[in-house]
Amino acid sequence: MMSFKKPMLKKPMFKMPVFKKPLFTLLGVAGLSMSLLAGCGSGGDTSASAQSGSGQGKAAAVGETTSFNFYFTGSQNVKDLWDTLKPMFEEEHPEIDVNMVYIPSGTGAEPTYDRIKAAKQAGKGSGDIDLYEDSITYVAQGTKDGIWSQVSESDIPNLSNVSADTMKDVDNYAIPYRSSAVVLAYDSTKVSSPPTTLDELLSWIKANPEQFAYNDPSTGGSGSSFVQTIVYKDLPEEDIHNSDPSVMEKWESGFNTLKEIGPFVYGQGIYPKKNQGTLDLLMNGEVSIIPAWSDMVLQQLNEGLLPDTIKMQQITPGFNGGPTYLMVNGESTKKEAINEFLNFVLSPEAQAVIVEKMNGFPGIELSNMPQEMQDKFDGVADGFRTFNIGDLGTEINKRWQSDVAAQ
Amino acid sequence: MSSKSLIDAGKVSGRKTISPETKQSLLGLAMVLPSFAILLVVVIIPIIQSFFLSLSNGEGGYDLSRYTYLFTDKGMRSNIIFTLRVTVITCVLVMLVSYSLAIYMRFNQGPIVNLIRKTYMIPLFIPGVIATYGLINLLGNHGWLARLIGLVGLELPRIIFDQKGIIIANLWFNIPFTTMLLSSALAGIPSSVIESAKDVGVGRLTLFTKFIFPLSYKTFLVAITFVFMGVIGSFTAPYLIGPNSPQMLGVSMQQVFSVFQEREQAAAIAFFSFLLCSVLGAFYIRSMAEEEKAKM
Repeated sequence: MMSFKKPMLKKPMFKMPVFKKPLFTLLGVAGLSMSLLAGCGSGGDTSASAQSGSGQGKAAAVGETTSFNFYFTGSQNVKDLWDTLKPMFEEEHPEIDVNMVYIPSGTGAEPTYDRIKAAKQAGKGSGDIDLYEDSITYVAQGTKDGIWSQVSESDIPNLSNVSADTMKDVDNYAIPYRSSAVVLAYDSTKVSSPPTTLDELLSWIKANPEQFAYNDPSTGGSGSSFVQTIVYKDLPEEDIHNSDPSVMEKWESGFNTLKEIGPFVYGQGIYPKKNQGTLDLLMNGEVSIIPAWSDMVLQQLNEGLLPDTIKMQQITPGFNGGPTYLMVNGESTKKEAINEFLNFVLSPEAQAVIVEKMNGFPGIELSNMPQEMQDKFDGVADGFRTFNIGDLGTEINKRWQSDVAAQ
Repeated sequence: MSSKSLIDAGKVSGRKTISPETKQSLLGLAMVLPSFAILLVVVIIPIIQSFFLSLSNGEGGYDLSRYTYLFTDKGMRSNIIFTLRVTVITCVLVMLVSYSLAIYMRFNQGPIVNLIRKTYMIPLFIPGVIATYGLINLLGNHGWLARLIGLVGLELPRIIFDQKGIIIANLWFNIPFTTMLLSSALAGIPSSVIESAKDVGVGRLTLFTKFIFPLSYKTFLVAITFVFMGVIGSFTAPYLIGPNSPQMLGVSMQQVFSVFQEREQAAAIAFFSFLLCSVLGAFYIRSMAEEEKAKM
């Protein structure tokens, strides 16, 4: 609409009428444009500093309030979770203001980490990102780059609820506050005995054309997990923890498998966008089996979005899954407030919200949770593998786009 | 216009007193300046920046490798062809539908015309994402159109996740505005011209080709420019209902930029789509300039 005005506006200018007060008009136009320009110019700055600005403003007004910026990414359910947890926390701790910044998945969460790193390298402190939530990839990356600060039980008493082994895995540089896994979600009215291994799944896909769908791996974790599981199918187990580019040479057979099943997936090669895209297909009966995040399936079953006939099955060896971590930026100056918040997140009350609201696996050991919750997760929590392949994930997506999508 | 005023300004700069014409030309220039400044900051400088970004080959040097990739990579090449095909088909269809609607509304009266006139703008007020999801629900494989025609034993061809879906969505987005433009152009054609032509026995087709079209040609050009640029840079609809491959350039640009993290390559795609648009833009400006010359 804006651009449409241009040619229209030009026209009167050609036969410019002699205005009674040309200077006045001119000033008006100039002033208007300048203010517009000023708006444009400072636009970038405002958005970048808005979080800190508004936070500090509040702090100044109340006096004692500390505010910190918490960046997180994921699907809508992750946002809903934090939208519930934040008021709970702030009620208990009115002196702390958590400023949440949500970056929807697939819209460039990666630059957040780059921002943290760039701020540190430029000597600009935390870059206004105090607390960050992401997968193991960024825990490893940030530990290597010396960005995260170690957490300890003396600062965060509830850390004792978390399994010591999981903390040891990340060397206390991050807190695994919840877990989720990719599973097969299937329509039990059409599939009576779902595949339980990857090979069974592959032959099922070929035997039932257009009844399986996985989403474009660059737009959501469930599709990406399926693709990675196939690509690493015949590779030694240690390769899923290897981010060295030399592994790429061994991908050939995996990608061939993906190309092979291309004509047998939904629409003979249609890969919907985002995790929800395949769930939508399952919902309206267009396909019978999809890889999906367990928490999304459970949540949508609870809300009645998915029919009760949708069931879940984990294959062995499992799909990608694992904890999601909270990482404290080492440059942050608000560690006390952050520790207070982390302590809250690891409390049984907050963890119960994760289970109820998100159907995620709790981050703390089950023995700290009420008995009914312990029953809910009896034996399912070990059904996934954690892939830690770093930047190779992006390489897989790239190759998938050129080899599989464009085949 | 600006060149004319520049010449005027140059001619008189030697004189001591400023003539009223010069004053006016200067005023004209000054009035164009602010909008030019905005254009400079929000359009021209970013284009130049992305052009330089697209030239860097990632190893410190500057070359055209990013552009060679656009035409040598199989996937990328089919993206470009796909984008152009969708754009051209959309332009043709939008023009056909909008012209017919506008002509129908101009030369007919009655309740149907009133109904169209009142309702054809509605799509403009529905947000793009909502409309796109509406289309998915309507036209999807198990959408309600499929269920309706399934009752009589017909099967709907694949529309969603296909170029047909993108084209239909683009028709929805572009027809109202184009019709509005063309209607206002047709309203400007004096009835006396049409009536006298009819009086001497001119047929309908001749009436259109010799009178209506030439008289609304300028607006037609404006409209086709907007449709072309709008479609070639469209994102929401192609992202949600387009195929995985080939992709529209907008979708591919987003993927290259934020998923593959190749900013230089994304800049090259952006600059290339700018070039595509500027071809039409140049055509448009030239015909405008010719007209101005004819007036003088």
